[in-house]
Amino acid sequence: MQFEKLLKDNSKIILFDGGMGTEIFKRGIKLGQLPDLLNIENPDTISEIHKKYYEAGSDMVQTNTFGSSYLNLKKYKLEHRIKEINQSAIENIKAVRPNGRLIVGDIGPSGEFKPPVGKISPEEWYEGFLKQVEVLEAGVDLWHIETISDIDEMKAAIDAIKKISSKPIISSMTYKRTKRGFFTIMGDSLEKCIKIQEECQVDVIGSNCTLGSLDMIDLLKEMKKHTQFPISIKPNAGKPRVGPNGQTYYDQPINEFVGHIHEMIDLGVKIVGGCCGTSPETIKGIKKVIQSR
Amino acid sequence: MALNQFYNEISEAIIKLDKEKATSLAKKAVADGMDLLEVIEKGFGEGVRKIGELWEEGEFFLPELMLGGNIMQESLAILLPHLKKQGSKTSSGIVVIATIEGDIHSIGKTIVATMLSANGFEVYDLGADVSPETIIETALEKKANIIGVSALLTTTMFGQKKVVELLKSRGIRDNFKIILGGAPVTPSWVKESGADGYADNAVEAVKLVKHLISNA
Repeated sequence: MQFEKLLKDNSKIILFDGGMGTEIFKRGIKLGQLPDLLNIENPDTISEIHKKYYEAGSDMVQTNTFGSSYLNLKKYKLEHRIKEINQSAIENIKAVRPNGRLIVGDIGPSGEFKPPVGKISPEEWYEGFLKQVEVLEAGVDLWHIETISDIDEMKAAIDAIKKISSKPIISSMTYKRTKRGFFTIMGDSLEKCIKIQEECQVDVIGSNCTLGSLDMIDLLKEMKKHTQFPISIKPNAGKPRVGPNGQTYYDQPINEFVGHIHEMIDLGVKIVGGCCGTSPETIKGIKKVIQSR
Repeated sequence: MALNQFYNEISEAIIKLDKEKATSLAKKAVADGMDLLEVIEKGFGEGVRKIGELWEEGEFFLPELMLGGNIMQESLAILLPHLKKQGSKTSSGIVVIATIEGDIHSIGKTIVATMLSANGFEVYDLGADVSPETIIETALEKKANIIGVSALLTTTMFGQKKVVELLKSRGIRDNFKIILGGAPVTPSWVKESGADGYADNAVEAVKLVKHLISNA
């Protein structure tokens, strides 16, 4: 089952996965640790989470490599383990991937900003992503670059993938809602981001994180005004709350989230899934909606 | 009238992110022997407060916030030494502030520290990735009134609670007011961790600190 085929099939809504971090926290990860390190230290947990998503009905699930780009690993002094971490991530998902389902290579933000906020240059972003993409390329069917808040960083990540891979790319920016519309925290407008993503010739333009499912409905409406490209949406399950031991949780009822996803499907979204606070149960709920159509 | 105009010019320079104008106005204030505390409060402080408003309005974003913060810091570097010479009451209180161990996100914390300095507090900014022990030692050494602990990650915010617990275990919890900051912090987390308060942004943080000190 190739991604391109699913994309071209007009009747098909592609079901992505839900949160990884949220599931890891539920299993009591030590606080302060990089979740990606669990690919090596606790591979069974990671595989089990992937498996739950495939079983819930996800057409595609992404590798546990959100924080495994060179620049982000460097913050944790783990950059020398970049190969090991990304390779283990591939093994963990391959072990449980059912026939005909897809593996998505997950690329998250570098955590570094360009001036005046930080000191990073576009070339450093590019080189940093390239090092991760080189390891993941052999094991993934397509790419998801996500939670990016600077369109220049997104461009660097896309360029890095295109340098060595011809596989499809979903590029998801993360937006905050302002009185003047949707912008990234770096001040890039939705319109500008979409224009550049189109110019970069990604396969799907998306958005994930920051916004809950209700706000994402409005974001999707705006996106539709600016692009004919297929759209991917992975909202958070409402707003985060913090529990007694410092753990974050989301208490939006699953049926409310799923109801919002239903609305987005009616509005023409192509790929749906969840971000922070969503679980295999959420994906099961979305699956029912898709099947009932 | 003329004074107000001067203060307006300063805050205008800040929100236009005009560093040259802002720092030259700071130098002029020193050269003219003006009341520098007033200059900071009504000029620079007002500018930074407006930047906070523009962020909330969706007019300004992270780059503008950083630039504004930098201009503020450079202007304060000009003003503060003279302020001490003038013998004004420079310190409304002593604040030790840091981003907690394991967390390298320091933008919000730096802005809060800058705003507190601008409002006349004596601020010791320990930077990012700082252990609870170091924060407490510094607070004792500097005889701080307020300890500020920032965390952006849900994985590191537990360290905020650790600071409170360490203080309790050493029997010195009540020597300080403890404020928390960072995107994941909520009122319920403040309560749970045993801290004294939190604010959503730098402007609110200053109000909070003033409130805590006046009720101490």
